[in-house]
Amino acid sequence: MGISRRADTGDSGLPGLLFEVSGGAGRRQLLLLAFRVVLAAVFIYAALQKVGKPLLFADEIGMYGIVGPGSLLYLIAIVLPWIEMLCGLALFTGIFIRGAALILAAMNLVFIVVISYRTVGIMTADGTPLRQIYFDCGCGFGPTYAWKKLIGDTLLLVFSVAVLFSPSYRFIAGRGKG
Amino acid sequence: MTAVMKMKRAIAQAAALVLLGTVAGLVHNGFSANGIDPFRKLDDVPVYDNGGKPLGETNPETHDGICYVSFREFREIVDAGYPILDARTSDEYKSGHIPGAMLCDYFEMGRHFETVLPRLSPEERIVIYCSGPRCDDSEMLARELYNMGYTKLCVFRGGLEEWDEAGLTLEYGPEEAWE
Repeated sequence: MGISRRADTGDSGLPGLLFEVSGGAGRRQLLLLAFRVVLAAVFIYAALQKVGKPLLFADEIGMYGIVGPGSLLYLIAIVLPWIEMLCGLALFTGIFIRGAALILAAMNLVFIVVISYRTVGIMTADGTPLRQIYFDCGCGFGPTYAWKKLIGDTLLLVFSVAVLFSPSYRFIAGRGKG
Repeated sequence: MTAVMKMKRAIAQAAALVLLGTVAGLVHNGFSANGIDPFRKLDDVPVYDNGGKPLGETNPETHDGICYVSFREFREIVDAGYPILDARTSDEYKSGHIPGAMLCDYFEMGRHFETVLPRLSPEERIVIYCSGPRCDDSEMLARELYNMGYTKLCVFRGGLEEWDEAGLTLEYGPEEAWE
């Protein structure tokens, strides 16, 4: 399968690329591109909602009761949106793809754990059923149902892991090596 | 490239992105109107309940720190003409606030300080409120102001909720009304 092998080398011009997208490797690359675009759009949008509002974001993080008020909380609130923004841009442009995917996979894993922790806390505190638990997770998308957020973050985790472990990338800016 | 090499590259790239994001965040925070000092000490602010005495018996000269005031005391302060700050959001402020209160949204205080601070004096009492007893934005704003040298601070915990329940009049309109 010369075509597939070539798709994995990370070294082809536009004619080759157009030819490859019609094959199995091409479909895989298109799927990866879709994952990258979704991840980039979600994290750039989320970052834009939080950049320049450190007190608001710190307050939302503080709601989880995991990081108490103090310098660490404020530093997270100042820095995290910018890391999200850079990861989104990296996935979109194709520069540092693997590193961005690693960060986003780790972030989504943490988000799933802390949202689950808060959700279970609410369920045990007042017996609210899972389907009715509704709060602002501080993710930049406003209040939503916890179960919807958990499904969304799980999908983003799957996308990040798929991008992270991809053997090669197409649709990258310049001569980036991902 | 082997899987181990790819993972090493991923970790190196991730470290670079985290470092770049940290620098960008700190630089932007330094220049932003809403930037904060992450190392400021908000816990060292003296908070007291006026020793159980009515606020009127407290010497304004010796008032140092954050003092919680009752509804009655709050009304006395309002009548005495001390500056009042509304720590809620702009939208909440527009939909009804205590007459004469200046908007100073805690979460965007840096932006509001440009117009609010010139109207405040460190020598006089400042009273702050937010939505009601479950809201702590007024106390957080008071802690920030204390660190800036405004040491005679009063927090009305009852907030707009208690004022509204008492049937007192509200003022409506844009924040520009007092600017």
